[in-house]
Amino acid sequence: MSNKSIIGIIILLAVAITGSSSFYILTEGQQGIVTQFGKPIGQPITTAGVHFKTPFMQKVRYVEKRILSWDGYPNQIPTKDKKYIKVDTTARWVVVDALKFIQTVQNEQGAKARLDTILDGYTRDVISGHNLVEAVRNSDKILAKIDEKKAMIDARKAKGEFILEEEIGGEIDSVSIGREELSQMIVKQADKELVALGIKLIDVQLRRISYEESVERKVYERMISERQRIAQKIRSIGKGEKAKIEGRLSKDLKEIESKAYRTAEVIRGKAEATATKIYADSLNRDPKFYEFVRTMDAYKNSINSDAKFLLSSDSEFLKFFK
Amino acid sequence: MQYQKQNPPEVQKILDLIAKLKFPVIAIFILFIGVTGSYYTVEPDEEAVVIRLGKHLENTQPGLHMKIPFGIDNVMKVKTKIVHQAEFGFRTMNTSSRRTTYSTQNFDVESLMLTGDLNVAEVQWVVQYQISDPFKFIFKTSEPITNIRDAAESIMRRVVGDKLVTEVLTTGRIEIATDARMLMQEVLDKYDMGVSIKSIKLQDVNPPRVVQASFNDVNAAKQEQEKMLNQAEESYNRIIPEARGKADQLIQEAQGFASSTINRAHGDAERFTSIAKAYRKAPSITRKRIYIDTMEAIFKDLKDITIVDSKVKGLLPVFSNGGITK
Repeated sequence: MSNKSIIGIIILLAVAITGSSSFYILTEGQQGIVTQFGKPIGQPITTAGVHFKTPFMQKVRYVEKRILSWDGYPNQIPTKDKKYIKVDTTARWVVVDALKFIQTVQNEQGAKARLDTILDGYTRDVISGHNLVEAVRNSDKILAKIDEKKAMIDARKAKGEFILEEEIGGEIDSVSIGREELSQMIVKQADKELVALGIKLIDVQLRRISYEESVERKVYERMISERQRIAQKIRSIGKGEKAKIEGRLSKDLKEIESKAYRTAEVIRGKAEATATKIYADSLNRDPKFYEFVRTMDAYKNSINSDAKFLLSSDSEFLKFFK
Repeated sequence: MQYQKQNPPEVQKILDLIAKLKFPVIAIFILFIGVTGSYYTVEPDEEAVVIRLGKHLENTQPGLHMKIPFGIDNVMKVKTKIVHQAEFGFRTMNTSSRRTTYSTQNFDVESLMLTGDLNVAEVQWVVQYQISDPFKFIFKTSEPITNIRDAAESIMRRVVGDKLVTEVLTTGRIEIATDARMLMQEVLDKYDMGVSIKSIKLQDVNPPRVVQASFNDVNAAKQEQEKMLNQAEESYNRIIPEARGKADQLIQEAQGFASSTINRAHGDAERFTSIAKAYRKAPSITRKRIYIDTMEAIFKDLKDITIVDSKVKGLLPVFSNGGITK
């Protein structure tokens, strides 16, 4: 290889290195800060594409422009009304000031560590400063609903309808702040500190709120005993209803039977009375003859062939027998 | 003297060959990369985002497209036509067999949630979404799928948190799904991440597992009650109509008795009146005739008649030879 070609190659390499060092590519979703010997120069670059810089002296540090996610560790927090709950929060945040961001936390990992302490702290403060309901509900809509339902049931009860109340009981206190507002409070308070880090929160979401195990067990026990009570009630109501039907059955049965008996006897009595009157009317015309004829008939009908007869020889029937 | 390291002859031969072929091999290699990297295909269910030197150039539709190779154009394909599904509280394992199987793992942590009356319900649901803007989907948030899942869980708890547990378990399903869809879209729009929620569907909504048995017991009790009442009604319906029929029968019989009694009375009375009328014409002889006729009728059939002389006092002598027998 000749000296000439060696020099040529060196020049080519120098140009290539200088060239590639004099521009940089900023991809969508990124922002960049140009630093000169470590000192930031100018405003952060946020438009994607090819940008120029002074070769060798200036370097570029890239920072996310996209919305980033933060996932909190589920914390066990007592609420103001002394209920132990587990709160799992997530948050979304953006780097609004890349320069501050780089200076204070350097990168995403650094930011996450700071977010952990800040957000966990404020979540704890806000949750423990309020009753549990505030972290669950947003409004008192269900209170109105309960009243409405109760009014309806009362109205139906007033009409004499039987209604089995099998609603699941619970604790229904009114809400003064509400779940969304609590998240907003966390955001507001945390943002005050995060502004120094060049970070802004988009939102904090209370992803999961659940009872701590011992509390959960108690809630379940309450639900179970309530169901058992209702089941028992249904069963005894059933028995009561059955007894009612059986009572109605025996009442109706006796009524029907006795009414029929009464009607039948009245009919018979009237008929007998009528018959008696008919007989009397007819027989009264000759009572003596009736007595004779009827006696004769009675003899005929009452004495059967097996009867043992002792006849005195002076009976009228035998008067010609002697 | 120039020192030259002597390679063994075989190795030297290969090195020579490489030296000779060096240029064409590299050229062909570069050409090959250039050609294969200058086109791309977009599948029918996809859209592609083209990034040229870091900057968003265009979105391309399904088909064959050209691009500048060597990393100048970057193509990212996103499935925009497919409706994606995120599952909460359960996971579909396999849909290829005839019956879909589900993971048996426990996803209680996702599905258990507090209701507005501070009870607990187990809610399983799916979120169906479509990527409406592939560029935003990739470049607006760092973890779009995580965001969707986080928002879905948070929103579902927010909606369920504003309902009574009874509503959640029974009548509120549709309202919950509709509200959750609306609120979730609001949240995702705030992130401006190019996702549109197609629907949220509630799957199984139950009381927590440990209390389910007692809920079932209430239903069983209802069934029992129903059965008991049916049985009671049944015996009522069996006995009462029969009794009514019998009562009717009794009355009819009485009426029958009445008319028979009255008719007989009329008959007897008229017969007597007739006979009496005739009797009055010849009382003495008629009386005798009737008496004799009657006696005849009686004594004709009698099997045991003892005639005792009126002078005999006491009856014992008659029966001294065991005359009781027939």
